Amino acid sequence: MREFLKSTRFKILLAFIAFLVGIMIYAVTKGGYSLSGASFINTVTKPFRFISNSVSMKLEKTVDRIENADAYYEENQELKKQVGELNKQLTDYDDLKTEVEELRKLVVIKEEHPDSVFSQPADVLGYVANDPFKGFTIDRGYADGIEPYSPVITPEGVVGITIDVSQHTSTVRTILSPDLSVAAVCSDTNTDFGIVEGSVIAAENKKTKLTHLTPDHKLKEDSLIVTAGSSGLFPKDYVIGTVKSMGVDPNGLTAYAEIEPAADITRLSSVFVIMDFDGKKEALDASQDNP
Amino acid sequence: MRLKTTREKRILYFKTTLRIFLYGLIVMAGFIYMTCGTWTKAVVLVPTAVCVALNADVLVSAFVGAFCGFLIDIACERLFGYNAVLLAVFCAAISLVYELYFRKRFFNYLWITALAAFLQCRLDYEFYYKMWNYENVERIFHTMTLKVWGYTMISAVIIYIIFAVINKFLMPKAHLTIEDVIKTS
Repeated sequence: MREFLKSTRFKILLAFIAFLVGIMIYAVTKGGYSLSGASFINTVTKPFRFISNSVSMKLEKTVDRIENADAYYEENQELKKQVGELNKQLTDYDDLKTEVEELRKLVVIKEEHPDSVFSQPADVLGYVANDPFKGFTIDRGYADGIEPYSPVITPEGVVGITIDVSQHTSTVRTILSPDLSVAAVCSDTNTDFGIVEGSVIAAENKKTKLTHLTPDHKLKEDSLIVTAGSSGLFPKDYVIGTVKSMGVDPNGLTAYAEIEPAADITRLSSVFVIMDFDGKKEALDASQDNP
Repeated sequence: MRLKTTREKRILYFKTTLRIFLYGLIVMAGFIYMTCGTWTKAVVLVPTAVCVALNADVLVSAFVGAFCGFLIDIACERLFGYNAVLLAVFCAAISLVYELYFRKRFFNYLWITALAAFLQCRLDYEFYYKMWNYENVERIFHTMTLKVWGYTMISAVIIYIIFAVINKFLMPKAHLTIEDVIKTS
């Protein structure tokens, strides 16, 4: 040992350690930056370190997978279950959100028409195949209190009337159909009365017709047409649509107007059914008494 | 007919069951197609019923025709049973005609389907639109009825191909004995 301490090798070793300590102290003074030598080494060895690191990581992962396969399987099953539950919650949330939106719209309509009794929002199950007047089926029936010949609306306006009611579904005849007549009035003038009734040609353009107008009517383009509420079939003051064009019937005695329905009847997803309203029964009774 | 072994019988039952299941699947797919969307659609259940009638007994054909007709009634919101009666009669007649006179050729299927579909479309137009004297009612015939009939004919070709593939693999073939062959020849 004494020989080693006196040897040149020891002196060289001490000198080398001192050199390293010197480098270390110098590195401390660099304030966080690498020495040029270290940078050079880092740069040169970077690809090799990258490769070796990748290989070792993969190896580690493989070993880890083999070692903890059971634990991972359990964890995976647990996570799958959690994902399923979260997805279900998300679906429920979306449903609730849609329902809240629908109910919000219903509140607005309800405030405007306090006399009307509305159904829960009814989803449109599908349109009647190849029907030129766009009849459709909803998911509410007599089990939900729906009766035949109840008005069907959306927040935008009148859509039609229920015609065929089963326990859980109802078929709706739209205002595009010539088989449905609605007493209507222009809300601007409040004097131009007529009957909204679909026609084959108007239905092709997703429009309906306001007929039996007097030739000296005051209707203008974009005049708002609302229900008159005189027939007892529809409550008063519900928007039907706006006037798009006008003309005089071939007999020269009456005029007509083409109406664009306020609700897009060909793209409905949900509607409301008016189950009761002021004047419904009285008007229907009166019409039965005086056919 | 040659006596079949137990194994052959089992295969026959399996194939027949699978064939009927696939027929049912096609009918259901046709019904779903007819109830979705707002566009003008082919009445695919008419060629489907005709395809079944080509390969089935008169009573079975009538039953399948009635079932398809009920589905059309639901999809098109027609009087429940109206199309069922029509298709039951059509299918029974088609089955009978094929049994007695026609060969199972594509051309025969095509013209007979064209006739059946046209009658169904025309009667629908007559009873549901023309009879009520709507203004310009003939436009419905030109813009809707004929279009539906055209689409139905296009779908008829596709349905025939599907049925042909199913029948090729799953329809039981008649086994003739040597004596039968000699007698026939």
